Amino acid sequence: MSASTPKQGRPDAAAEDVRTLEATPSCSATRVVERDAEPAGPAGNPRNEGASGHKSGGRAAADVAARIIMWGAFVLAVIPLVWILWSVVSNGLELVGSPRWWSDDAAGTSARRPGGGALHAIVGTLEMAAVTALIAVPIGVLTAVYLVEYGRGRLARLVSFMVDILTGVPSIVAGLFIYAFWVTTLGGQRIPFAATLSLVLLMIPVVVRSTEEMLKLVPNELREASFALGVPKWKTIVQVVLPTAFSGIVTGILLGLARVMGETAPLIILAPYTKYLQGDLFANLMATLPTMINDNRTEVTQAAIDRAWAASLTLILIILAFNLVGRLIARTSKVKA
Amino acid sequence: MKTQRLAVVSSLALTGVLALAGCGGGNSGSTNPGGGGGETQAAESGDGNCFSGNLTAEGSSAQKNAFEEAVNLYSENCQDAKISYNPTGSGAGIKQFIAGQVNFAGSDSALKTEAKDGKIEQQQADAACASPAWNIPMVTGPIAIAYNVPGVEKLTLTPAVTADIFTGKVKTWNDPAIAKVNAGVNLPATPIKPFFRSDESGTTENFTKYLAAAAPKNWTAEPAKKWSGKGQGVEKSAGVTNGVKGTEGGITYTELSYAKDAGLKYAQIDNGAGPVELTGESVGKAVAAAKPAGEGNDLKLKLDYATKEAGAYPILLVTYEIVCSTYKDQATGTNVRSFLTSFASQDTQTAIEEIGYAPLPAEVRSKVETAIAAIK
Repeated sequence: MSASTPKQGRPDAAAEDVRTLEATPSCSATRVVERDAEPAGPAGNPRNEGASGHKSGGRAAADVAARIIMWGAFVLAVIPLVWILWSVVSNGLELVGSPRWWSDDAAGTSARRPGGGALHAIVGTLEMAAVTALIAVPIGVLTAVYLVEYGRGRLARLVSFMVDILTGVPSIVAGLFIYAFWVTTLGGQRIPFAATLSLVLLMIPVVVRSTEEMLKLVPNELREASFALGVPKWKTIVQVVLPTAFSGIVTGILLGLARVMGETAPLIILAPYTKYLQGDLFANLMATLPTMINDNRTEVTQAAIDRAWAASLTLILIILAFNLVGRLIARTSKVKA
Repeated sequence: MKTQRLAVVSSLALTGVLALAGCGGGNSGSTNPGGGGGETQAAESGDGNCFSGNLTAEGSSAQKNAFEEAVNLYSENCQDAKISYNPTGSGAGIKQFIAGQVNFAGSDSALKTEAKDGKIEQQQADAACASPAWNIPMVTGPIAIAYNVPGVEKLTLTPAVTADIFTGKVKTWNDPAIAKVNAGVNLPATPIKPFFRSDESGTTENFTKYLAAAAPKNWTAEPAKKWSGKGQGVEKSAGVTNGVKGTEGGITYTELSYAKDAGLKYAQIDNGAGPVELTGESVGKAVAAAKPAGEGNDLKLKLDYATKEAGAYPILLVTYEIVCSTYKDQATGTNVRSFLTSFASQDTQTAIEEIGYAPLPAEVRSKVETAIAAIK
């Protein structure tokens, strides 16, 4: 890139030069930054005016109406959330609170035999999520780096378009695709790794999109400064751009993981439920929390219903933990630009 | 910059933990298409016939509870055996068996020998096994005609009256047709509200097979998994059972275990030799009266729904385990044999009677044991 060696001359001329040379990333980056800065100024003003200034009857009525509608919408949105949390916690807490739940698998239980643990499903969910991340994160992050830092012209547009399509693929289609590929075409067994592959399909677009946004947020001045010191482009990306966007990327990955962990449809197709603790991704069946919920939900006995609630609560807790870790990382490593 | 490094370290630690979790677990897989999925090793250790490793089965939801009970009893002696059953329905189970995804299938009906869409199930299964596939009857599930009519403790139904009720011809509980077979019972004028399974179900298929066989004049529709009579449709056994429980005058056909769990009363059936109560014994008699339809160790049964044998309860479904006679992987064969032997044993069959199934009658059971012993 010629932009990496700024021309001699007046500083503003050089800046102009760079702006024209750096096509997309520079534009979008500044746009985003500007958008970020914009609301801070004007947003504060009209509100103050409205509060202190004189209000006519019509405007006051509109104000009240808008307030009521806003609060109504807020309450409407919160009711189901609180309701879900309440019913999951109140129905699931008892089993989740028992130590066996975290240390045992479900061997020896049945619809009529209560008790048992969820260790098999917890291990399965975490293991699949870990392997999914291991595959999806490098692919996703590198794709995003390509799209933001290198991508030009037709190929970049094609990649971006494909990611869009991948975003819109319903999870059951991802599952069926892998089934058709792995079982029907290759003649393989339904093994947990095949389910992991379909989860990878679902996670990649999430990682690409979130990483892309984060990379775009990196101020272009940082890149330019690095180029000005004669640092090659790849090194600039590895040592300046990626570390700057690091916290955001990690948050995006964890959010993607949280989404993938709750996915059920591909698992029903590719990883049937089992009651036993199994760690091997390449043989046998592996239980996960979503399939555990699904297996127990179809029963009419209280023992099974209790297990379904408890497994739901466990899944929520694990995803919550992931989100919290993501937030924590984002907070501790905020970029001081 | 320092905080940033901290974040890097912590996230590395996190991925490290996850990666470690990914490493836990057994030896990597021996997939063996055709014979079924899963690692199968070390069959038949010293004590008894235990094996360690995995066995997978898939199919009929009607035998799920019996299967789980059998697994639990088996693993009391053999704790290292991991036997999983995936209740996705008979059709799905047979498909996965043919595709070599499971070690054996559970089904409400034997493998079909007639061509459907140019494919014959039996042939496909034989090809997948590279040996004849056998149908082994294992669990018999009586279908109860459960009703909710306060004050009526005992109800007798004949096939004709049952068919008339479920086709909507007989509309009230004190209809003369019902009163005729229930002398001395005080029947109210409550309207009859039949409930049926709205999903495709083996229970519906067997119930309509019974009606078509025992009351061909009153039930003219072709027996099928989809309901063709009158009434209100509800999904799953639990649905119809709860429907009757909450509706005065309601009546439905459902697996005995569900009727029992819901505390519903169920009718006696009079096929022509007097009213027969639904008990393990009376169902066993009907199974024993069934004619073998397969050859040798293929033990598929042709139930005689119209049986007039005294004391035989005729409405039932027999679920099979569909196995390979010779497994490609010898260890799998040994493991299947070991588990099914325990499933067919007197102890297990008695145990599943307690949860609403009927035990295999002695004659059938001895044939089943012979067949299982011949699995290689």
